[in-house]
Amino acid sequence: MSVVVTGLNHRTSPLALREKVAFSPEETPRALRELRGRFAEAGVVILTTCNRVEVYVHAGGIAPDDVAGTVRRFLSEWRQVDEGTLAESLYTHVDAEAARHLFRVASSIDSLVVGEPQILGQVRDAYNSAKSAGTSDKVIHALFQRAFSVAKTIRSKTTLGTGEASIGSVAVRLAQSIFQDLSGKTALVVGSGEMGKLTLKHLLSAGIGSILVVNRGHDRARDLAAEFGGDALPWEEMPDNLHRADIVVTSTAAREPVLLEEHFKAALERRDNRPVFVIDIAVPRDVDPAVSELDDVYLYNIDDLERVLGDNIEARRQEAARAASLIDSKVRGFARWLLGLQAEPSIVGISEELEAVRARELAKTLDALPCLTEAQRAEVDDMSRRIVRSILSNPMTEVKQELVHHDPQTVLHLFRRFFGIERM
Amino acid sequence: MTGAIGTFFLAGCAAYVLGAVLALLGARRGVRPLLHAALGLAGAGAALFAVVLLLRWTHWGLLPLSTVVDALCLFTILSTAIAAATVATNRAPGLVPFYLPPLGVVCVATAALARDYLAAAPRELRGAPLAAHVGLAFLAYALFYIASATSLAYVFQNRRLKAHNTRGIFRELPSLERLDTTLVRLIALGYPLFAVTLGVGLIWAWFDHQLLTPQWWFAPKVMLSVVSLTICAVAFHLRHSNRLLGVRLAWFVFVGFLVLLFVDLMLVLTDLNTHNFWEGGV
Repeated sequence: MSVVVTGLNHRTSPLALREKVAFSPEETPRALRELRGRFAEAGVVILTTCNRVEVYVHAGGIAPDDVAGTVRRFLSEWRQVDEGTLAESLYTHVDAEAARHLFRVASSIDSLVVGEPQILGQVRDAYNSAKSAGTSDKVIHALFQRAFSVAKTIRSKTTLGTGEASIGSVAVRLAQSIFQDLSGKTALVVGSGEMGKLTLKHLLSAGIGSILVVNRGHDRARDLAAEFGGDALPWEEMPDNLHRADIVVTSTAAREPVLLEEHFKAALERRDNRPVFVIDIAVPRDVDPAVSELDDVYLYNIDDLERVLGDNIEARRQEAARAASLIDSKVRGFARWLLGLQAEPSIVGISEELEAVRARELAKTLDALPCLTEAQRAEVDDMSRRIVRSILSNPMTEVKQELVHHDPQTVLHLFRRFFGIERM
Repeated sequence: MTGAIGTFFLAGCAAYVLGAVLALLGARRGVRPLLHAALGLAGAGAALFAVVLLLRWTHWGLLPLSTVVDALCLFTILSTAIAAATVATNRAPGLVPFYLPPLGVVCVATAALARDYLAAAPRELRGAPLAAHVGLAFLAYALFYIASATSLAYVFQNRRLKAHNTRGIFRELPSLERLDTTLVRLIALGYPLFAVTLGVGLIWAWFDHQLLTPQWWFAPKVMLSVVSLTICAVAFHLRHSNRLLGVRLAWFVFVGFLVLLFVDLMLVLTDLNTHNFWEGGV
């Protein structure tokens, strides 16, 4: 039996191919059942995200290459994609490496943005979909449950999930480093640039209290204000209303700064020197750089935000390396469990054979001793069971240990030969 | 008994020093478990110091508040308790590297003096007002110490934000607004406490002035307490009228504490830390 993952992701295939191969939530259950039908007995999970399509299969008695080939043909037929084209982008991992891959995926180490939090939920949805479709089995269940546990451990033991990964979220985090609660704060948006709007969306998600919008074209300001649930101000009134803003987001197309040092000095005086966070996303800059010298103003331009972002991403990469080493021990644990499972049929077979021998010899013995009472016959029966259990106990333990350190096929073959078992 | 007391004291010092080291290591990379461990060690150190005080109290039958070592133990216990409460309330382990290292340094310095002081009996504190005055004074100074460490955290975080540096411990510190609120709360607690401390001291001095000369209220030690109260009062009132906010308030509190600390150390080191300074009394 083998656990095989076959798939493609943002590193191995272009977006166009991933789009073609991706499964929608509605069609996934049917795809799962159809793919499972191509194996005599298997567990199947299909994971689709914007950056990957992966198929996890546990199939007994089929070589991993054949499993991968079946999955490839299925994807090719289901999506009408040339098999050769698919083959160039597909990767395959088997058993322990398949587990390692899934653990890395669930922990977001393999993600386009390392540490992104959505992937674990997506992996959970994929597993639940397989469970509902009836295509999950004991091994798939164990594999995915361990993946969820590993992801949780990585999150708690590393700082992989910390540090923002977009300009907008960096801006929000910085705002939260200055202000305790954004719900009582006011953001002033100057201009109608796309980056400014994106930053404002992040601030809204973080619960900013109120929004003021200013633009040279007042109609545009009104539209923006309506879109974000704020108030529009005439352009000329911007300096006089600057003191109302705790956060200022500027993204105009102006060639010269529109907010100068004297504007902020006057505003700070009216605000009793309460701090102001200024996000200047425009190029050329909208805010005079001298403003950053003022005591209670925290000015970040686009370069500053990108530097913070770069620091965060680098920190996540370093944490990913640490997380990868944490995953190693979990992979070893799963591999041991899988080997134990592989040995199960042999162990069961040996137990059954010995039981048959015991029953045969017991019958012969009891026939030869007709004078025994019922109690004595029961005691002889118990004794024979105890003898068999005692004989088997040590070999069972030892063979499970040996499976970890030596070639499983050789160990199981020797095990069967020692007990004279010809099956399996 | 002195051997046991000495052992507990040194173990407490070691716990604080180790906690301070862990706090600094955790600060470098912003590693939260290290910061939590540092605070845990400080808690263990405080517990050990509490045992030291208890043993000295039961051994001598006198409240141990008068020697340098007793003062360190009590001050450190109170500071640790206030620090832990502040860290827990703000859910900000990033404050630990600001609170612990100075306590670690003080422990190292005092450990060198410990032997003679631990063997000596504490001075008798005559009357409840005097005991209350001394105890409250330590609590007030512990609050002032934590306030000044918090103000240092504010200055640090402010500089980081100005310099666009968000690495390391930046994430484990609360927002500037929260640091400001915490600072104000600590001052708001310390200010009336200093006032009560001085009031209780006045009561003691009025009723039990056999040990004191008529000019006791001019002694540097008393003046220092009045100046401490004044600094707290100025900070509190200026903050409430919004005339001293943010980084300016933080610097005011921090520098104020440093000045008081320097003067107090000088008084202790020159043996002038007495109520009867002008008469050369005890």
